[in-house]
Amino acid sequence: MKRLLLTAGLSLALGTAAQATTVHILMENVPDTQFVKDQLPEFKAKTGIDVDIEAISYIDMHSKLVPQLSSPQGSYDAIVVDFYWVAEFTQAGWLMPLDDLIKRDNVDTNVYLPALMNLVGRVNGVTYMLPFYNYSMGIIYRKDLVADPKEQAAFKAKYGIDLKIPTTWDEYQKQVEFFSRDTNGDGKLDFFGTVNQGQRGDCISMQWSNYLYANGGQYHNKDWKATFNSPAGIKAIEDYKTDIAKHGPAGAESYCFDEASNVFGQGKAYSFVTFNILLSGFSDPKSSQVVGKADIAANPGGGLNGGWGWAIPNSSPEKDAAWTFIKWIESKETVKKRALEGGAPTQGWLFDDPEIIAKRPEMPQLKVLVATAQEFPTFTYTVDFVESLGRELNLAVTGQKDAKQALDTAASDFNKLAVKAGLQK
Amino acid sequence: MSAGLAAPSRTLRGLVPHLLLIAFSASILLPLVWLLRVALTDKLTAYRIPPELAPLRLDNFVEIFVHYNFSAYFLNSIVAAVGSTAIALPLATAMAYAFARHNTGGSGLRLVVLASQMLPPVILVLPMYSLFLMAHLLNTWTGLLLAHLAINIPFLAWILIAFFQGDVEQLEQAARIDGATRFQAFLYVAVPVAAPGLLAAGILAFILSWNEFLFALILTGKATNTLPVGLAGFQTQRGVDIALLSAATVVTILPVLLVLPFMRRYLIKGLSLGALK
Amino acid sequence: MTVAADRLPSLDRRFGWAMTAPGLLALSLVVLFPLFFAIFTSGFEYTLLHRKYDTFVWLDNYRSIWSEGYLGQSLWVTTTFVVAVVLLEFLIGFTVALMLNAVQRFKDVYYLILLMPLLINPVVVGLIWRMFLHPELGIVNYVLSLLHLGPVNWLGDVRVAFWTVVLVDIWHQVSFMIVLLLAGLASLPREPYEAARMDGASIVQAFFYVTLPLMRPVIVVTLLIRMIFAVKTFDLIFVMTRGGPGTSTDLISYFIYRSAFYGLDLGKASAISVVLLLVVLALTGYLYRYMRSLA
Repeated sequence: MKRLLLTAGLSLALGTAAQATTVHILMENVPDTQFVKDQLPEFKAKTGIDVDIEAISYIDMHSKLVPQLSSPQGSYDAIVVDFYWVAEFTQAGWLMPLDDLIKRDNVDTNVYLPALMNLVGRVNGVTYMLPFYNYSMGIIYRKDLVADPKEQAAFKAKYGIDLKIPTTWDEYQKQVEFFSRDTNGDGKLDFFGTVNQGQRGDCISMQWSNYLYANGGQYHNKDWKATFNSPAGIKAIEDYKTDIAKHGPAGAESYCFDEASNVFGQGKAYSFVTFNILLSGFSDPKSSQVVGKADIAANPGGGLNGGWGWAIPNSSPEKDAAWTFIKWIESKETVKKRALEGGAPTQGWLFDDPEIIAKRPEMPQLKVLVATAQEFPTFTYTVDFVESLGRELNLAVTGQKDAKQALDTAASDFNKLAVKAGLQK
Repeated sequence: MSAGLAAPSRTLRGLVPHLLLIAFSASILLPLVWLLRVALTDKLTAYRIPPELAPLRLDNFVEIFVHYNFSAYFLNSIVAAVGSTAIALPLATAMAYAFARHNTGGSGLRLVVLASQMLPPVILVLPMYSLFLMAHLLNTWTGLLLAHLAINIPFLAWILIAFFQGDVEQLEQAARIDGATRFQAFLYVAVPVAAPGLLAAGILAFILSWNEFLFALILTGKATNTLPVGLAGFQTQRGVDIALLSAATVVTILPVLLVLPFMRRYLIKGLSLGALK
Repeated sequence: MTVAADRLPSLDRRFGWAMTAPGLLALSLVVLFPLFFAIFTSGFEYTLLHRKYDTFVWLDNYRSIWSEGYLGQSLWVTTTFVVAVVLLEFLIGFTVALMLNAVQRFKDVYYLILLMPLLINPVVVGLIWRMFLHPELGIVNYVLSLLHLGPVNWLGDVRVAFWTVVLVDIWHQVSFMIVLLLAGLASLPREPYEAARMDGASIVQAFFYVTLPLMRPVIVVTLLIRMIFAVKTFDLIFVMTRGGPGTSTDLISYFIYRSAFYGLDLGKASAISVVLLLVVLALTGYLYRYMRSLA
C-alpha cells in the first residue's frame, strides 16, 4: 500500500519535474495505441523524453477533452483528434497550427493519402494535424462463401451473374438476399445476408452513409445546402429497412457495431458494412469463428471516410516535446513497424510496400477503400448533425416516421446548422 | 397474543418471507452467475448460442491486472469511496441533527443544499474543472475526495434527518436534564439511536462514490483514474471486450464478500437497535 | 429547573449553525459555486466556441429551447420513467425490506446479495445487460426460446425498449430502496406494534395503522432521493439505447448533455437544467412540507 502511494506520488512529482520531460498524450483504445506504446522505449533511448499515454474509450473522449482544451493549461501535451471534431476544435482555436514547424523540420506531408490529409490534416489550408489512423468503411464479407463452387453455381442459376467480390450496389444487394437463409427449417432466418447497426445516433448515421453514397446520393452541394433528402436518400432508407427486416438478425435496429460484429464473428452473417479496422478483429480466435474467412470490399460509390490525427493543443504544457514525439511517431521507420504489426496506416507508400503486403494481403484493397472514400460533412456542428440525422434515420427505420419526412427534418436541421456555422449563405 | 394458532401455521408464516427472499435473491444472483461464467471464458464463447460448456480459464482475471492498470483503478476507487464516506458521514450527521433539532436555516437552507444535486452532473462539470484547475486539485486524491464529498453530503443529510426525529427527542431531553451539553446529547444519545440510519447512509455514500463516473472522468488523470473510468475503457473501437469487462466486474463485487464477517456483527447490531430502547 | 437558562433559543441557534458549518463549507467550496454558475450562464449566450460572458440575453435561452421540438417529448419520457422506476422500486423494495425485517437467519446473506448490483456502476450495468439481452446471441432470449417463447426485441422494439430500461434499472437499484427502508423499519420502536397485536389487530391491520404511519418520514425521504437520482439517469440510456428507438428513451439528462457537448451551447443547456431544477425543487418542496406536517 505504502509503495503504491509512494509511486503515485513520485509519478505525479516526476510529471512536473523539470529534469526529465514527459509528454502526456490522451489516446483512444485502438490496437494502434498498443503498437505506439510498444515503440516508446526506442523513443526514450533516442531523445530522453518520457511518454505517458492515457487510453480511454472513444465515447468518453470528447467529454474529457473539452474542459482540457478550453482551459489555459490542460494536462495533455499531444492528443489525437477524431474527424468529427476537427472543425469544432479548429474553429474554437484549440489546436496549434503546425505549418511553421513542418517547414522548419522539413516534414514531408505528401506521404499521406490526400483523402486523409483533407480529413484529419489540413483545415482551410492550415495544417493542424498529422493523420495517425484511418478507419474508412467498406463491406466485410465471407470470402470463403464467395469462393465456394456450390454457392457460385446456385447464385448464377438464380440471378444470371457471377458470384464474386461485389463491385456494384445492385450486385451486393443480390448477394445479401441470396445469403439470407433459414438453414434449419424452423421458419426463422438464422444466416443473415448482412448485419445492420440501426441504433439511434452515431451508429446508424455512419453505416447508412454508405448506403447513401452507394445509391449515388450526397449530403450537400458546394453551397452547403442539404441534398440527401433526394430520391437517392429515400432509396437508401428503403434498402436499409429491407436489410433489417428481411436480411438481418432480429433487433438490428438497436445494434451498434459491437452487437453487429459479434453476429458476424459467430459466423452467422455473410457481410457487414463497417469500419475496415474490424477486419483484423475477425482473425482473432478468441473472439471470432470466421478466422481466415473474412475479407473486405470497397463500398460501391465510395465508403465513409474516417480517421484520427495527431494534434498539439494550445493548452499543451510541453509543445516542443510533443512535436518531437509526433515527428518521430510519424517517421517512416516507425509507421512501417506499426503497419507490420497490424496498424491502420495513413501514409500511401505503406499500402504498396511488398513486405507489408506479404504479411497483410488485404492492403491493396484497403488502399482502394481509402482512396475512394467519401467525406462526411465535417464542420463545427458535425456531431450535432450526426445526432439529428441518427434520430431521424432511426425513426424512419423503425417505422415510426415516413422516410421522406424524416429526411426532410434532418435536412432542415442540417441547413440550420450550416447557416449557424457560417457555411451556408 | 395469537396463542391459539397451531404450530404448522406458524412455521408456514415463517417460511413465506424466506421464500420471497430466495426468489428475490435468485433474480439478483442468476445474472451475476452468468457474468462469472463469461468472465471465465472469452468473447467468442460468451456469445455462442446455444451456450456450450467450454473449459473455464482464469486468463481474463490475470490480464486485467497485467495489461490494464486494474489495481490502480481499484485502489483509487477505494480511497475515494472510503475517504469521502468517512468525511461526509460525520459532516452530514451533524448537519442533519441541526436541521432536525434546531431547524437551522429553515426550509431554505435545506432545499438549497439538496438543489445542488438536482442538476445533471454535465452542467456542473465545466465550472468544477475550472475551479479544480485553479486550486491545483486535478488528478489528485484530494480533489477526487472533495468532489465525492460534495455529492454525498446533501443526500446523507436529508436521509439522516428522518432518523433524528421521533422518540429520540425525549431521550435527549432526559439527558440534558441530567446535565449533558447539547453536543453530548447529540453524540451519546441521538447518534446511537440513529445507528441503523447511519449504517444505511454509510453504505449509500460508499456506493455513490464507488459508481460515480463523470466527475472522475473529467477531474482525474491516469494516476487517479477510478474503476468506472477504467472499466469504461473496455469499450474499444473493435467492440466491447466483454470477457475482460466481466472479469473486472466480478472483481469489483468481490470485496462485498470479504465484508461478510463484519456484516454479521454490525448488521444484526445496527438493525436491531430499535429494540434496545 | 435551573437548566431553563441554557435552553435559550439563541444558544440553540448557535449550536445548530456550528453543527452545519463544516458540511456547508465543504459544499460551498465545491458544488454551490457550479450551481450558481449554471444559473448565471443560462442568462447569457455562452458557447463552448466562445467562452465569454459578453452577450446577456435575458430569457431568450429559455424561449428558444422550446423550439427544439423534441424537448417536450424528452420531458414526458423522463416523467414516465421517473414515476415507473420510483414506484416499482418502492413497491418491490418495501416488500423485500419487510421480509428481511421479519427474518432472523441468513439475514446477512440476503443483505450481501442485494448489495452486489449496487457495486456495479451504471455504464457497466448497461454493457452487461446489452450482452444478456442481445436479441440474437444473448442468454435471455435463448432461455426464452427453450420455453418456446419468441425472441424479444428488447432494445429495438419501440414499445418494449422503455420497459427494458426500466427493468434493468430496477435490477440495478432496487436495493437502494431496500437499504434505506430496512434501516427505517429497524429503528421503529417495537411497543406500538406489539400493543396493537395484543389488542387483536391482524398483521395487515397492524402494518397499515402502526408501521406505515411511523415509517412515513423515512418513506418520504427515500422516495424523494430516489426521484432526484432517477431524473439524473444518464449512463444507462447512453450505453443501452442512445435515447432510441426513435425518442422513446430520450431522458432529459441525455438531452442536456447533447445540448452542451454536441450543440456546444452551454447557455441553452444551462437554461434547460434550470427549468429541470425548478420542477424538481417544486416537487421536493411539496413533499418536504408534507413530511414536516407529519413530524
